[in-house]
Amino acid sequence: MVVGVADMKVSNQPSHLLVTHALGSCIGVAIYDAQVRVGGLLHYMLPDSSLDPARAAENPFMFADTGIPRLFRECYALGASKARLKVKVAGGGQVLGGEEHFQIGRRNYAALRKIFLKNNVLVDNEEVGGAKARTMFLDMATGRVWVKVIGQNIVEL
Amino acid sequence: MSLIPHILRSLKHLPPFPVVAQRALTLLNRPEVSIEELVEVVKFDPGITANILRISNSAYFGLRREIHSLHQALLLLGTQELLKIIIASGATRLFANATPGYFQERHGLWRHSISCALMADLLARELGMADRTTAFTAGLLHDIGKIVLSLHVEQKFTQIMMVVEKRGIPFQQAEKLVLGISHAEVGGEMARIWDFPDRLRLVIHYHHLDRPEAFSDDLVLLVYLADLLVMMFGQDLGNEGLAYDGFPQVLYHFNLRERDLERLLLHFGSSWNEAKVFFGMVGDGDAVQCAHRG
Repeated sequence: MVVGVADMKVSNQPSHLLVTHALGSCIGVAIYDAQVRVGGLLHYMLPDSSLDPARAAENPFMFADTGIPRLFRECYALGASKARLKVKVAGGGQVLGGEEHFQIGRRNYAALRKIFLKNNVLVDNEEVGGAKARTMFLDMATGRVWVKVIGQNIVEL
Repeated sequence: MSLIPHILRSLKHLPPFPVVAQRALTLLNRPEVSIEELVEVVKFDPGITANILRISNSAYFGLRREIHSLHQALLLLGTQELLKIIIASGATRLFANATPGYFQERHGLWRHSISCALMADLLARELGMADRTTAFTAGLLHDIGKIVLSLHVEQKFTQIMMVVEKRGIPFQQAEKLVLGISHAEVGGEMARIWDFPDRLRLVIHYHHLDRPEAFSDDLVLLVYLADLLVMMFGQDLGNEGLAYDGFPQVLYHFNLRERDLERLLLHFGSSWNEAKVFFGMVGDGDAVQCAHRG
């Protein structure tokens, strides 16, 4: 099952493989509860829904602050529990250069850390930043997460 | 050892630029283009005409009436929109082959080129630039050098990426160090051979802004920025990822802030889905040959 840009899929079917292609500055968040085999994958574009609240209402998966809560809630609805969820994060790439401009990737990541800190969620593993393009996979049978750095290797998170 | 002589030699066998797109390029920058001129450009190519009708009827334009002829397309879309479609349709043949040095996916370069064209168009509108069709075209053709350089890059990819990582320099500079020439320079040379308008050739040659000449024309800066934004958006990213320089002075020049970039990505996200009809235009080699025969 392909998760597009500004999109999310949750599942409790062990046969599913969730994948999101070519994360640039966007961020992919994979969460998985191994006990009930429930998980989901979110691909959001931008940090903050105050940019365009109307569009955020239409599609909450565009933004970190509206997409991340939805990802967790929909997994809870399928029986996942917060304490058991493993959380893995990939993306947030940047072009080369200074620290002040073209920083959407960095702000996307900062927004996620802020939300997680407020809600007491720990990130188990991550592959973020750098000038890299990444594709992210979540295997619903095992909860294993892989990240392929495009043009390079594949690593398990 | 420099590969430049070898690469320049391969340009001697460069096929001609697709004739429909070539004719359409001469209509750019003109205040008025007549329907007769447009019809004249495409009438002998049924494959392209079919493409034009398909795109005109796509969700991207969201017209209520179905379009059956070029005349109708012109009336409902206007000459400038139709010119964009003609140029994109005419250029597809160039992008029919895979470019494995740069993209894993067979039509990766085509997708990236269309994305950049749409982003340049969007950016031109945002900045109130008069000639959006030229911006679209420059975005579409900015990376043509990759068509020729792909096989060389494929052979030396690991080496080029090592230079990128060790020295922290952008991809096109590492390309030049390893191969002797960058895809932008090869593209500029192709534009010269194909006799593109000067502005278009400048965009292609300088779109990574590594020479002062790049800053002499807003169109170069616009396409550079569109390219960067498309990379940040992801989806059509190539093997080199986002390994290009972000120059803040371009943002100052256009008076754009980070929040404006976010808004552009948001708009692009909406049009990207609807514009997928453009992505499907390039068939495999066989389909291209059929279109040619047709």
